[in-house]
Amino acid sequence: MRILVPALLALSAPFLGGCGHAPGDPPNPILRPSTVTDFTALYSQNCAACHGANGQNGPAIDLANPEYQALVDDATLRKWISGGMPGTEMPAFCQSHGGMLTDAQVNALIAGMRKEWLKANAFGAAAPPYAQAQAGDANRGAQSYRARCAGCHEPTRQQVTSADYLSLVADQTLRSIIIAGRPDIGQPDWRHDGPVGNATTALSTQEVDDIVTYLGSLRNVASGQAASSAQGGR
Amino acid sequence: MQRIKQTAIRIYGWLELRLQLEAPVKDAALHSVPRNTASWWYVFGSAAFTLLFLQIFTGILLALVYVPAAGEAWNSLNILNHQIPLGWFLRAMHGWGSNFMVAIVLIHMAQVFLFGAYKFPRELTWIAGVFLLLMTLGMAFTGQVLRFDQDAYWGLGIGASILSRVPFIGGGLVHLLLGGPIIAGATLSRFFALHVFVIPGTMLLFVFLHVWMVLKLGINEWPMPGRLVRRTTYIEEYHRQAHEDGIPFVPGAFWKDLTFSGAVLAAVAVCAFVFGPFGPGGQPDPAIIQTVPKPDFFFLWIYTILSYLPPSMETPFILIAPLLGIAFLLALPFWAAEGEKSWHRRPVALLAVSTIAVCWGVLTHLGTTTPWSPHMSAWSSDPIPPHYLQIATPLVRQGAVVFQAKQCRNCHSIGGAGGERGPALDEVATRMTIDQMRFKVVTGGGNMPAYGKNLSPAEVEVLVSFLETLHPANEPPAYDASRRTIETSQADDGATTRTNRNATP
Repeated sequence: MRILVPALLALSAPFLGGCGHAPGDPPNPILRPSTVTDFTALYSQNCAACHGANGQNGPAIDLANPEYQALVDDATLRKWISGGMPGTEMPAFCQSHGGMLTDAQVNALIAGMRKEWLKANAFGAAAPPYAQAQAGDANRGAQSYRARCAGCHEPTRQQVTSADYLSLVADQTLRSIIIAGRPDIGQPDWRHDGPVGNATTALSTQEVDDIVTYLGSLRNVASGQAASSAQGGR
Repeated sequence: MQRIKQTAIRIYGWLELRLQLEAPVKDAALHSVPRNTASWWYVFGSAAFTLLFLQIFTGILLALVYVPAAGEAWNSLNILNHQIPLGWFLRAMHGWGSNFMVAIVLIHMAQVFLFGAYKFPRELTWIAGVFLLLMTLGMAFTGQVLRFDQDAYWGLGIGASILSRVPFIGGGLVHLLLGGPIIAGATLSRFFALHVFVIPGTMLLFVFLHVWMVLKLGINEWPMPGRLVRRTTYIEEYHRQAHEDGIPFVPGAFWKDLTFSGAVLAAVAVCAFVFGPFGPGGQPDPAIIQTVPKPDFFFLWIYTILSYLPPSMETPFILIAPLLGIAFLLALPFWAAEGEKSWHRRPVALLAVSTIAVCWGVLTHLGTTTPWSPHMSAWSSDPIPPHYLQIATPLVRQGAVVFQAKQCRNCHSIGGAGGERGPALDEVATRMTIDQMRFKVVTGGGNMPAYGKNLSPAEVEVLVSFLETLHPANEPPAYDASRRTIETSQADDGATTRTNRNATP
């Protein structure tokens, strides 16, 4: 009896002590998928597979890069998320384009990314604009590429000049990576593009335009089209 | 105090004069049972009985709040979960009580079968027990429907589609089950009536009959190898054993029943407290397609079987196998009413129970993991483990993007995440050369569809470049030996050509 009473009390302690914190107390009701606006839930369900958990270390561009966040505006982000990015694997996510997300959810994703990953004064200096404003020169681009990029991106090592690779990435993707870099995998930004990421001068807007134009000229467009779409099928 | 005691005795005497319950209760409590039945193996029936009353008690409390209307049921469950103090605990007790009840009833049945308790003269006790098992499962299914969420909705849809396959009267049966052509308010009212009135009422009647027969015929004695049951001599032998080597049921055997039932109730309460209530899951709206409905654990084995059966076998299996199973259980006591009771001399019975238990366990496990079903959101939600891409080239990274965007991940897992419909690809490069992978992706084979028409040549190339990197660090990727020979011979040819060219004047 002397042991029984304390033992019973000990066993019943979890029941007596604060039922609001019971492990079995269920979490909030499950929402309709279209009403979920929590950024973490939306990002992990829709974006994490390609852009990486927490926006980095994924195969596609690292959204957690503050420089990328500073480079791209809301309208552009909304355009890519809603309707997909032509010429790339980025699919359309908005219901109006055949996806599963509502406009409010796309907005919640953008607002969440800004809140989590945008940092004030991320560039520190004026960067080339997000979109290419003028035509580049492929020949000049080839020279710039050899001077500033080839040190790392030789064909056998980083294969960035592969026609197959280039046929699956848009000019805009190349441009964004050249300007904002990919800090998660060690790709420097436009200020440091150069041999072993240690350039003495930043790339000019003209150089960025030219390099993108040069890489675009290596693209084999036919290779990027699926057999059925080439026949007008898909 | 003395006065209160006298009043109580007077009231008891007044009631007893009219009800006359004392003698039958005393008879039941003190009747002699064979000493060897006061065993921990004999406690499952009483535990199932206790759980039935737990379910009735918690069920009545739930019915005070639950609204059996299609538009309100889901909300009323959430009110119970979130707004009524300890409402979630009540739901959890009812839900876990139901799981425990199914489990204990099945264990009770296996024990009774292995102890030969269905033999003469307890055939009818067994038959009532078979109907009680069916009703317990019926309560479990109707209860799952009352938890009106996506699982309930689609479970009902599957139940209806099973019924619709009955020849000639299938359509009528579906109409009867659903209360109309579709799952709607009438369906829920119907299942509420079944779950709250019809099945429990019938169950109580059968439980009364079952217990009555256990009391009247005596609890099955501990089976001894070689002691055979014969219709002509069994009853006399049993009574001799119960009286010569017997003890009164209370307290001799009863304390074990009481202890085990108490332990089971405590286990239900602990599970309810720790794991909480079941659902409700998402809203029961067929327009929500982001759902993976699953039955509760006691029906997972059916779910697995239906998933694995070839389509041509489905209807015969669904319609004939349950009937055969029930017919076998009902016929068993007549087919084997006499003879050996001990499991030591009934290897077929022992093997049958073990086989069924193992099959049930395996099918249930498969039902929880559903390896046959693609994970439809893996392509967008399961990240590639970062170390797989640590030294990846842009080409390989683009291959990983194609791998995700083309939804390969939905069927092929990497790093333990993704579908299991196809093989895991973590080490695919060690078992397939790049040419074999290219061929497989383009032309398919086995269960793998051909993707040649859905992928561009560049997509195929970057995809196989990524797949070629999937091998352990200390194990090189598979390499086609003939390629090496060709490369060597090409190199030799080149050298010869160069030599000849140099030799040419």
